[in-house]
Amino acid sequence: MPGQITLQEWDQRYEQLRKAGLHQPDYSGPLSRHVEDGDTRLLKLRYDNSAAALRLWNFLLTEEDRLHKARAEGKKLVGTMKDLGTIPVMAYSLDNLVAFYPDGAWWIPCVMELNTGLLKIADKLGIDESFCPVRAMLGAFLTGAHFPIPDLLTCSVGATCDDFSAIAQRLNGLGYPILWWEIPHRHPPEPDEAAVKLPGGFSAPKSQVEFVESQLQHIKTAFEDLSGQRLDEKKLSTGIKKANKVRTYLAELRQLAFTAPQCPMPALEMLIAEMLAIHFCSDRNETIVVLKGLLEEVKARVRAGIGFLSPDAARIFWVNPVADLQVMNLFEDCGGRICGTEYLFTHALDAIPQDLPPTEALAQMALADPMVGSSIDRASRICNDVRIFGAEALLISRIPGASHCALEGQIIGEIVRDKLNIPVVELEVPPLTDSIRPALRTRLEALVETVRARRKK
Amino acid sequence: MKTIIYTCPYVPAEWIAAHGLRPSRVMPAAVGSTGPLARVEGLCPFVHSFINEVLTILPQTDTCGVIVTTVCDQMRRAFDILVRRCDLPAFLMNVPHTWQSTAAQKMYVDELKRLSRFLIRLGGKPFSNDTLARVMLEYDDARASILAARSYLSARQYAQLIAAFGRDGPGMMLHSETGASLPIAGVPLAIVGGPMVRGDLDIFDIVEQSGGQIVLDAAETGERGLCPPFDRRRIRVNPLVELANAYFNGIPDASRRPNSELYNWLKREFLDRAVRGIIFRRYVWCDTWHAELGRLKDWIDLPVLDIDVGGDSQAHQHRVPNRIRSFLEMLL
Repeated sequence: MPGQITLQEWDQRYEQLRKAGLHQPDYSGPLSRHVEDGDTRLLKLRYDNSAAALRLWNFLLTEEDRLHKARAEGKKLVGTMKDLGTIPVMAYSLDNLVAFYPDGAWWIPCVMELNTGLLKIADKLGIDESFCPVRAMLGAFLTGAHFPIPDLLTCSVGATCDDFSAIAQRLNGLGYPILWWEIPHRHPPEPDEAAVKLPGGFSAPKSQVEFVESQLQHIKTAFEDLSGQRLDEKKLSTGIKKANKVRTYLAELRQLAFTAPQCPMPALEMLIAEMLAIHFCSDRNETIVVLKGLLEEVKARVRAGIGFLSPDAARIFWVNPVADLQVMNLFEDCGGRICGTEYLFTHALDAIPQDLPPTEALAQMALADPMVGSSIDRASRICNDVRIFGAEALLISRIPGASHCALEGQIIGEIVRDKLNIPVVELEVPPLTDSIRPALRTRLEALVETVRARRKK
Repeated sequence: MKTIIYTCPYVPAEWIAAHGLRPSRVMPAAVGSTGPLARVEGLCPFVHSFINEVLTILPQTDTCGVIVTTVCDQMRRAFDILVRRCDLPAFLMNVPHTWQSTAAQKMYVDELKRLSRFLIRLGGKPFSNDTLARVMLEYDDARASILAARSYLSARQYAQLIAAFGRDGPGMMLHSETGASLPIAGVPLAIVGGPMVRGDLDIFDIVEQSGGQIVLDAAETGERGLCPPFDRRRIRVNPLVELANAYFNGIPDASRRPNSELYNWLKREFLDRAVRGIIFRRYVWCDTWHAELGRLKDWIDLPVLDIDVGGDSQAHQHRVPNRIRSFLEMLL
């Protein structure tokens, strides 16, 4: 039966599964071993009890090993900063490049419960708590303890958040070369401008797509120089097909997880699964296998009509990822169920067009990023998805210090209330929420109660 | 004459003026001012003040449009607020953060052309190259006279002159300021940072009263935000290209990627003006400038005083003079 279990319970279950002949990849093992590496937050989380979820967690928590292994095998590492799902597709189209996401260090203060001193290093560099928790990345670069220093660093700038851009510039000033590329703010085409309908539904002028294409060409050349291989259309097209495999699995997974009568997969595992779309956790092929396993588990549960949470759980659409993973458990404890998400990268979940020249298709994807357009656009997509997944309320999770969070919540909240007449709550989630847990719980419970009260009217 | 307001230095006033419209660069009265937009945790006080200035005071004037740019993420999002809450037509101009590629420079030119279409929709007139060239020369002369005035104006007067130029254009200002050079009367300091508000110009007086003198106004609203002189030969060949070149390549800023040109410019100006200390003025929640503070300290062998400006102007008024006095005591 599906259930949520603690780390200690997972160890016992791991032994049972192992003795029963469970086949797991070489990076598998009991989850508690990651605590010995310092991932102490794991002790406080509750996990899905399926073998598929075990594989997902082990895959996530062994990324650093994978990067070191890739380097030892002679592969080149590319750090794709401030890029949510476009440049990694290009990198993985070459067999000797491995892309990863240094910004992912923003979860280290949570997972390692501030034990690493990464934020203190950022403080010393003048990047204090007024910045987004992604500032932990600076410490990760300086200590070299959480990922190997990449052979090439790329970073998108322009229509991006100032926090990250400023932190990346600080990194650059410390002597880390960065290949910057420009992503312009997406604006609606003017009446006399040639327009392109982007994946996901937004529109942009053709000239903007062409501009981004030129930026991607620049990156492509850098990848060719680094890898010593030509990144031709055939390779890119193959890379896009593989990325679409990931996106197809995720789309199916999301559809089932958000709409099945009984919730088949907890919010925490779904968050981790969605995150794989950004850079494939440094192994695209294994990402496909991990997601396939998770999808099979979810399908089996849906077929059997089994799952989690009370049938009257409040159906909530969640905006922005949380800095503290434990909040996803707390949310469910309070009676909520995730029915739709917008974790900043919905474009990385949409299929990449396969009927276009590959660089043009990727340029369209980059421009479809909800964060490069207006918050009004973003709100409009959220409204659509709220309708599709049947959510009854919206929760906007503020990222502390993030430049986009100061104003976007107001705009998204106003538009969602106007268009859908559902309750909206905005709350801030720091990397560790232990000290504010009672307050968070109260607000989450209030939202759930509001949803339930509205059903009775 | 219809007025178009903006605040970003990368918006060329000449481009607006050539359309027969009056460009006016907004310098909000003060931070922390009340207005339709309530204070929000995480919002830069300058962006907050700018939004409130646009939402309240300016629509009562002959203002017919507002231009916002993408130089700052919070300003980019302020555009969304203006679109939803303000009747004034608004334009969001993409100013590339990268600057070393021809593609980025072309995008800037293309954005100026898109801006032109917006201005024409608001009643602006199409114009010839000759008109643009004439306007550019007029502004260029005014900027030259402002730069020349630095030697005989106090730092505050100089900052006010630059602000008046941004607000009103060349007009009567041209060649109207003359005088004998003033000797440097205090410890030469530079002020570095983002845009200032009118109420904060007191800082120049506070510095003087404390025994210092701002010899370099490297705030966005100061000398750093003025585009360099045009190449007059190139104006004759293609004024738009020269305009874009001067603005896009000539204004050093923390937001550029990489922003090495800012440091090159500062190094040159610090040496030229024998700067002995830096007042680093930044807004709380302005990540772009905040992140440069540590780097500046690492990079330069000069004392740096960090002045963070929050939304509470009263507390700020009490704190800043003390900090500046202490800083100058150390330097005297």
